[in-house]
Amino acid sequence: MTIPSSTPLLALKGISKQYGHVQALSGVDFQINRNEIVGLLGDNGAGKSTLVRIMSGVEFPDSGQVFRDGQPATIKSRKDSEKLGIETIYQDSALVGSASIMRNFFAGRELTKGLGLLDTHKMNAIVMDILVNMVRISGINSPDILVEALSGGQRQAVAIARAVYFKTAMLLLDEPTSALSVRETAKLLEHLAELKREGVSAVFITHNLYHAYESCDRFTILSRGQVIGSLAKAETSVRELNDLIVKY
Amino acid sequence: MRQPIVNICLFFFVLQVICIVASLLYPNDFRYVSQTNIGLLLRAIPVLGIISLGVGVLMITGEYDLSVGSVYTLAGYSIALLFGMGLPVWLAVFATLAIAAAIGVTNGLITVKFAIPSFIATMGAMLVVRGVVRWLSEGRTVSFKPDETFSDLLTGSFYGIEAPFIWFIALALLTGLLVHKSKLGNHFYLVGGHEKTAIAVGINSHRVKVIAFALASLAAAIAGILSITRVGTATPAQGIGLELKAIAVCVIGGLFLSGGRGTVLGIVVGACLMYMVEDVLLLLRAPGFYLDVFVGAILVVAVILNTWLTRKAGK
Repeated sequence: MTIPSSTPLLALKGISKQYGHVQALSGVDFQINRNEIVGLLGDNGAGKSTLVRIMSGVEFPDSGQVFRDGQPATIKSRKDSEKLGIETIYQDSALVGSASIMRNFFAGRELTKGLGLLDTHKMNAIVMDILVNMVRISGINSPDILVEALSGGQRQAVAIARAVYFKTAMLLLDEPTSALSVRETAKLLEHLAELKREGVSAVFITHNLYHAYESCDRFTILSRGQVIGSLAKAETSVRELNDLIVKY
Repeated sequence: MRQPIVNICLFFFVLQVICIVASLLYPNDFRYVSQTNIGLLLRAIPVLGIISLGVGVLMITGEYDLSVGSVYTLAGYSIALLFGMGLPVWLAVFATLAIAAAIGVTNGLITVKFAIPSFIATMGAMLVVRGVVRWLSEGRTVSFKPDETFSDLLTGSFYGIEAPFIWFIALALLTGLLVHKSKLGNHFYLVGGHEKTAIAVGINSHRVKVIAFALASLAAAIAGILSITRVGTATPAQGIGLELKAIAVCVIGGLFLSGGRGTVLGIVVGACLMYMVEDVLLLLRAPGFYLDVFVGAILVVAVILNTWLTRKAGK
C-alpha cells in the first residue's frame, strides 16, 4: 500500500490533557507532514511541553486520537513512540553527562554479541563513522569522550546524529537552543536543514521566534492549551507571529 | 574519564612499594612480607571486598544499601540454622541466597515505588533484619560445621592462595563483566548518571534499580556465608558498621555517591587499600584509634581528589 505524500506523518486530533484543575491542552489538533520542519510556538505554559511529552509517550492524553500515516495509533510508552519513528531531544536531558559518547549514542538500543554482552567494537566504529562523515562535528576524535566534556552544541549534534542513525522519521526538539551560544545555535539550525535533506521531519519547540522563523516551514501556535493558529512560512512574518502570541 | 582510578591505583602501588621496602629493611620490626601477614590479608579482604562489589554496583545506579551489614549476619544464621535442621548444605546456601535476594528486591521496590530515598528504606531494612537476627538467635552465637568438601572449596587454599581471595577475584571479574561489558551494566551507569534521560531513551529505571538492590543483598549474603564457613560461628552483633565501611571502600575506589561513575577495579583496590592501612598500623603496633583516624582521613581526601579531578575533566 502506498501512502499519498499529502497524508501527514503524524496527526493528532482533539488532544486534551488535564493536570488536577489545570487544563493543559484542550482539543488540540497538530500534524507533522513529510519533509517539513514545524515550529511549535507559544508562551510559557501554553502547553508546548505537554504536547511533546504526549507525542514521545511519556504522558498519555485524557482524550483525542493519534494517526501515523493515516492509520490510528496509540502512544502509551517510549517504546511505542520509538516504533512510530519519533525521537525527542529534551532541552537539558538528551544525554547522560557522566557516560561516554558511544554509550549515550546507543543508550537503550545497545548492540550485543548475545548473552547481553556489548559489542563495543562495532558500536565505536558506527559512532565515529556517523560523527565524522554525517554530522561532521569538529573536535571529537574518540567515542570514549564523556559527554560532560562536550560543549552544548556538540551535545546537540551527538543527539541529532543518534536520530539520523536510528532512522528517526520525526525529531522533536524541545527548546534546543535555550542553552546554546549564538554560534552553536547557527550550527544547530544547519543540522536541522541537513536532517530535512536526509528526509527527517522535525518539530522545533521554542519561544525564540527568530530561530523558528529561520528554520521552519510551518508554524503552529499554542496559547493556554489551544491552537490559535497554524500558518505556512510564506503567509506570515516574525512580526505577525509575535503579535499572535502576545495578543492571546 | 579514568582519572580517579589511575590515582587510586598509583597510590596503592606506591604504598605497596614503601611497605615492601620497609619490610625488607626492617624484617624483624615490620613483617609485611611474611607468609602469615600475606595470608591474613588475603583472608581478611574478601568479606568486605565482596560486600563492596554489591554496594558499588548499587551506588553506580545512584542508590545505597545500609542493610548489607545486617543481611551479612542474617546469611550466617540462615545457613547455620537451615543446615542444623538437616538441610543439605547446598540447599541451605541456595535458600540463604534466595532470602537475601528477596530482601534486596523488597528494598528496591520500596525505594522506587514509593519514591523515597534508599538511605531511609534500607536503614529501615537494616534495623528490621538485625531484629530478625536477634529473634532467631535469641542473643546466642551459632556454629556451622559443614563437611570438608564444602569448607575447603570456600575457605581452603589453592596453590597457596587463600580460597576466599580467589572467590573475591572471581566475583570481581564477574561484576566487571556485568558492569562494564553488558547491556544491563550500561543501563546501571545511565540510570545513575541521569535517571530522566535514561527513562527518555526507554530504559526501565525501576527494574534496573531493583536488580541492583538484589545484587547488593546477594553479595552481602555470599560474604556472610564465606565468613561463617571460615570462622565456624556467627554472633548476632557481627557485621555492624560494615555497610558504612563498604560505602567508604567504594568512595575511596573512585565511585560517586551520586551515581553514574566508577569502576570495579576501583572497588577492588579500595577494599585492598582499606585493609592494607589497617594491617600496616597493626604491624606498627599503633593503638586502635589510629585506624579510625587514618581511614577517616583517607576517605575525605579521596573524595576531595576525585571530585576535583572529575570537575577538571568535565571542563
